[in-house]
Amino acid sequence: MSDWNALSDEAFRAQAREYFEREFPAEYKFLARRMRWAECRDWYQKLSRKGWIAPNWPIEHGGMGLSPTKLLIFYEEIEHAGVGRMPDQGLTMVGPTLIHFGNAAQRAEYLPKIIAGEAVWCQGYSEPNAGSDLASLHTEAVLDGDDFVINGSKIWTSMAHDATHIYVLARTDKQARKRQEGISFLLVDMKTPGITLRTIRNIAGHEEFCQVFFDNVRTPQSNLVGELNQGWTIAKGLLGFERLNIGSPRRPLQAMEKLEALATARGLMADPAFVERLTQLKLDLADHNSLYRRFVDQVRRGESLGPDVSMLKVWSMDTYQRLSELVLEAAGEYGVMTGDVDFDGTAIDVLAPFYNSRPGTIYGGSNEIQRNILAKYVLQLPS
Amino acid sequence: MNQPDNSHAELLAQSVSAYVQHGADLPRVRALAQTQLEFDPKQWQELADLGWLGILAPESCGGLGLGLAEVAIVAEGLGRALTPEPYTPVAVLAAAILTPLAGATLPMAILNDLVAGLATPVLAAQEQADDFSAQLVATVATPQTGGIQLDGVKSFVVGAAGASGFLVTAHHEQEPLLCWVPGETQGCHVRLIPLADGRTAGEVRLDHALVSEAHILARGARVRELLDRALDYAQVITAAELLGVLKKTQEMSLEYMKTRIQFGKAIGSFQVLQHRAVDLLIQQELAAAVLAEVIQEMSHTPMSVESRAMAASRAKARCADAALMITRAAIQFHGAIGFTEDCDVGLYVKRAMTLAAYLGNSRAHRQRYARLAAVGHQEAA
Repeated sequence: MSDWNALSDEAFRAQAREYFEREFPAEYKFLARRMRWAECRDWYQKLSRKGWIAPNWPIEHGGMGLSPTKLLIFYEEIEHAGVGRMPDQGLTMVGPTLIHFGNAAQRAEYLPKIIAGEAVWCQGYSEPNAGSDLASLHTEAVLDGDDFVINGSKIWTSMAHDATHIYVLARTDKQARKRQEGISFLLVDMKTPGITLRTIRNIAGHEEFCQVFFDNVRTPQSNLVGELNQGWTIAKGLLGFERLNIGSPRRPLQAMEKLEALATARGLMADPAFVERLTQLKLDLADHNSLYRRFVDQVRRGESLGPDVSMLKVWSMDTYQRLSELVLEAAGEYGVMTGDVDFDGTAIDVLAPFYNSRPGTIYGGSNEIQRNILAKYVLQLPS
Repeated sequence: MNQPDNSHAELLAQSVSAYVQHGADLPRVRALAQTQLEFDPKQWQELADLGWLGILAPESCGGLGLGLAEVAIVAEGLGRALTPEPYTPVAVLAAAILTPLAGATLPMAILNDLVAGLATPVLAAQEQADDFSAQLVATVATPQTGGIQLDGVKSFVVGAAGASGFLVTAHHEQEPLLCWVPGETQGCHVRLIPLADGRTAGEVRLDHALVSEAHILARGARVRELLDRALDYAQVITAAELLGVLKKTQEMSLEYMKTRIQFGKAIGSFQVLQHRAVDLLIQQELAAAVLAEVIQEMSHTPMSVESRAMAASRAKARCADAALMITRAAIQFHGAIGFTEDCDVGLYVKRAMTLAAYLGNSRAHRQRYARLAAVGHQEAA
């Protein structure tokens, strides 16, 4: 296993750039939607064989253990090359959660499969009546012999139709004094009898999220992560990783790549009013990088993330939306045309960042919920 | 936020925090608005005695020979305390120009006095609005018997009110010069223009001002090098001062939101105010993160002149905008009381404004950043 951190930043960037440019399949570059598993499995496994599939994981679990600066370079080069977003719940959520909260058997069972691309995970959190108010969830799990038996349904489950596994928050004690108590964190194989799903079409016309139904679904007790009824603590820990992931500059960077290509192609760099707005967004993104490094550093030192990580998510998704809106504005009449639009030989799907950025202020805890969290736990304002 | 890797930082942080605690500067700032006395020799001597004037200066001149990280700690504290004395113009901008020159007799003497609190040299370079890098120099130097004669007008000279002399840029034919002009030089006239925060900006008019040949401190390309580096440093340290101003103001707002009761509840319990306060917190943390990173880069990484300027612009633009946003929102959070002269909020609002404008406002810095980014882009392509 190589120590990538030993390379100079420039050398690492050059390697990453060359590799992504050369190896990522051309037909999927700058794809307007998330990649389906069938489309990206080969790429995932190729990255895995190279040892590059988990840049944020510690080396002992098969990751690259990158420093914050190297991690940012890695993400920058992924976006620069137009590498599509794969189903990544295992890499961004399940892995870090099991490393922190799982037991040795669970780590041994699940981590290598994530690294190898043998398991694809999805997240069973939201329910039809438990969105921002996640703790009001109703899906329940009852212990029966060696198994939990799960009944209920989860919704807005991204890429569930590609997943082999799902992690579920379920109520295991209905008598608990507080709603947050009595919830457990369970791992479930999607092939288990009793699981059905329906896909939900989004406003971009893509089927990326699903509703998942649980009808007497059995999962062994060994798939309980952490203690019984302590799932909320783990859920919050995982949300920290989720906020760090959504709060990374990756998605805004993606929109910035498009915006700059579009602006150059349309000759907007000669328009001082446009350049001023572009520069403001560039600085918003550069400063976002600085803030992001601070939190990545914290994780690398082994410290857990506090409620302040929510600010990354708010800023990242707000910036992403502002960027995507400027893309449409910069495109003028072309800004309402669907699919790839040809700008003097540069093909750009101008609507893609717009659609992709809309749910960003909703998923992973809406930006309003994140602000509530920051107000209460960081600013300590009264309720 | 800055984590310089030595014990100086901790000691400094302690003494800065003690200085800020006694908070004696607010009444002085109020008095200033009436008097134009922004420079109190006793206060200045205290800064000298604390060793803060000599943080950048070499030990051979009585200084500490430390870097941006340490001087930023002091500046942030002075920002919190609203100290009106021209710390950044003298102890950063002038000191950073003089330090590389300290091998020569005159600069060394000036720097010695600066560190001891006996001299307050101030850069007088800029002549036109928006030209914060002072590129456009119309001031002329003419050799005369007995020395060199300077003619021209320098504007936006912050710290001029208490300046013992000026570091003046001029050119003789095509050659740039940097000259030391003591304040008492014949033909050196200073007009003070009151600023929003009770301090002043000087217009320095040089009218047949004659200084000796020995007062030419640098010439040629060296002048630009000295200025660029010192201006970048001073912009970053002004950003640190802005960080002190904005953090203190945000604390005042939060404290008020927790104690002010309306509709039977603390106003800080209202979600609309909470969300506004959070958006300002994000600005505060972005500002702190950028500043820390820029200081780290400028202290430890070899940088091209262009990337150093881009880094300084990034820090100045974010800290200025964040400070303006946070101080203005503080008026709104405080309601009518926030708009009164008696309320401290107004003092922070006005200091944020003058610091934001000093050495280029955020618009000017975004422009510089864009220009340099475009150049870098072309070179890479």
